[in-house]
Amino acid sequence: MADSGTVHNPIRIHPETCVRCNLCDWICPGDIIYKEEDDRETLPVIRYPDECWYCGLCQSICPTNAIEIVFPEQMIHNRTDVVSLLGKVPE
Amino acid sequence: MKNGWTRIDTDLLVVGGGVAGSMAAIPVLEAGLKVVICEKGRVLDHCGSIGCGVDHYLTVMDTGPEWDTPEFLIRHVPELTDHIVDMAVASRVIREMPRIFRKLESFGIDFKDKQTGDYYRLRSFGLPGTYHINFDGTDFKKQIGERVRKGKATVLMRTMVVQLLVRDNRAYGALAFNFRTGEWFAIRARAVVLAAGDVNRISKNASGMPFDSWHFPYNTGDAHAMGYRSGALLANMESVEATLTPKGFSCQGLNALVSLGAHFVNRHGERFMFKYDKKGENARRAVIADAAINEYLLGNGPIYLDCRHLPQEILDRMEATLQVDRYTLPAFYRQKGVNFREEPVEIAISELSIRRSGVYFRGSGLAVDTNGETSVEALFAAGDCATVSGGIAGAAVLGHIAGEGSVGRIRETRGALPPVDMEAAAAIRAQSDLHLARMEGMSWREFEDATRQTVTDYVGVRRTEKGLRLALETLRALAQRENALRADDLHGLMRVNEAKNIRLNAELMASASLVRRETRTGSSHLRLDYPRTDEQNWRKFVIVERGSDGPQVRTLDTNRPLSDAFARSAATV
Repeated sequence: MADSGTVHNPIRIHPETCVRCNLCDWICPGDIIYKEEDDRETLPVIRYPDECWYCGLCQSICPTNAIEIVFPEQMIHNRTDVVSLLGKVPE
Repeated sequence: MKNGWTRIDTDLLVVGGGVAGSMAAIPVLEAGLKVVICEKGRVLDHCGSIGCGVDHYLTVMDTGPEWDTPEFLIRHVPELTDHIVDMAVASRVIREMPRIFRKLESFGIDFKDKQTGDYYRLRSFGLPGTYHINFDGTDFKKQIGERVRKGKATVLMRTMVVQLLVRDNRAYGALAFNFRTGEWFAIRARAVVLAAGDVNRISKNASGMPFDSWHFPYNTGDAHAMGYRSGALLANMESVEATLTPKGFSCQGLNALVSLGAHFVNRHGERFMFKYDKKGENARRAVIADAAINEYLLGNGPIYLDCRHLPQEILDRMEATLQVDRYTLPAFYRQKGVNFREEPVEIAISELSIRRSGVYFRGSGLAVDTNGETSVEALFAAGDCATVSGGIAGAAVLGHIAGEGSVGRIRETRGALPPVDMEAAAAIRAQSDLHLARMEGMSWREFEDATRQTVTDYVGVRRTEKGLRLALETLRALAQRENALRADDLHGLMRVNEAKNIRLNAELMASASLVRRETRTGSSHLRLDYPRTDEQNWRKFVIVERGSDGPQVRTLDTNRPLSDAFARSAATV
């Protein structure tokens, strides 16, 4: 598991509106969201946040709109020099 | 469970439940045969590259005009692919397009525009007609998935296939594990279809986040890698694909932008595409990506998407289409605080991937004959892991062809299948236990980062002999460290296997790139030391296969089908 203390969490689940139904775990194509089955107490856990594709399937299926997708700073305000991605020519 | 195996015997095993795999399953189920699908996702209705939705479907429809006939499109395929294409397979795929399109409609998929009640067909990516239907495909995969479930296929979800069972160049099943429960499966089958998609997470992108990829990041070349290890031939592995994306978010949408009339401008405000292609923004994807790369290298970056000239109704359609392809794009723009309708938006080159090198009908992957069968008997391939690929339409059509081919193979299989190779099975389990038991060692993240850095620096869009040799050295040294990879849990074990597959695909790409001593299709295969396209000597496929000491590479003239390189006798339909 990635260190959740330093990794951006893209999937914010609002505990007041979440009905603990398991659909987000069920639909996630990346096996990122874990929800204990048949337990109406526990919230879903974003176990592997850095492996999220930002596809939003979890948000789209959530029956109570309890999920918000939040993009990290390096996506929203990206400062990478694109040329650095275009290869090196060896000496 | 520790050393146990769940044994399953079936007629067809499908690896990957996306569009290609599901479409392969359908004719086999219709023939009354048994199908098992292994899929890394959890729900068939939403798995694969377009499980979240899709906005375009490429097809000829045979509605009357000459351009809408298969033969017209087939005539243009050589120029669309810069002459590196298996015409036998591409022609069959195109001829089958109208039939498979109508079959999809019979599933209840509505390709028609809701406002006009007719097909909304657009021209893009250098195609010689308005072949792309723009439609709301939010539920496209759901309807195909429903069809498969109604056919009563056995679907093993959250299950990764890690090794094929092959004896005497004939496939007879595979070994797989469920990464939630740890259950291991030994599956014997009369035919196997590989439909595990393309190769992502193989190079760096602007955000530096490996799973922020234009295409599905959970497609990691598993089919390419397993096919290679089992002796199947691969071709076109030297070609890479990139696209243009909003800077910082590698997402889909280029087709909607260019087909609806968006412009790309550089930092001087110059609409630069016409310098590279007379079709401007309607050029092939490979040309658009190459042009953007050149603009950056010339110092003309950043580049921008500019839609300000478009009328409101086109902008409305564009906005609606873009969020079908990637549901979260509006949220990205909202959080970024930009409005693409009213201001230029900075765009960048996406990460690279191995798919179809920015052109239709030239896939990078497992070589197939006209039945979709690879060089290994009873082993089929379809979708983005096969040598003829064309988006979801290519996946649907070749998938269906492979399914029909499988029915033939299954019916002619006589006698019992060979027993499961328990020695191979024990070795896989021992290796997996080793990864899981390690408390220290290299993580799959570090391992993948090393692959990505190497590909980005030396195997990506500016290649030289020296750089490629350096990359091969690094990638082979990395392979020596595979046994030391650490898996923290079963999910991590899946990622360890993916990381190994990504590295192997990078090695195949570098090996093939080294041999093709020319440049073709711009940055899809750009050799700085051989900058010209050499039509005299290089109208050839580069074929990669497993040798005794790593990948072996040979060539075949493109006026012959790839199946001419197969050791078995292949279909010629």
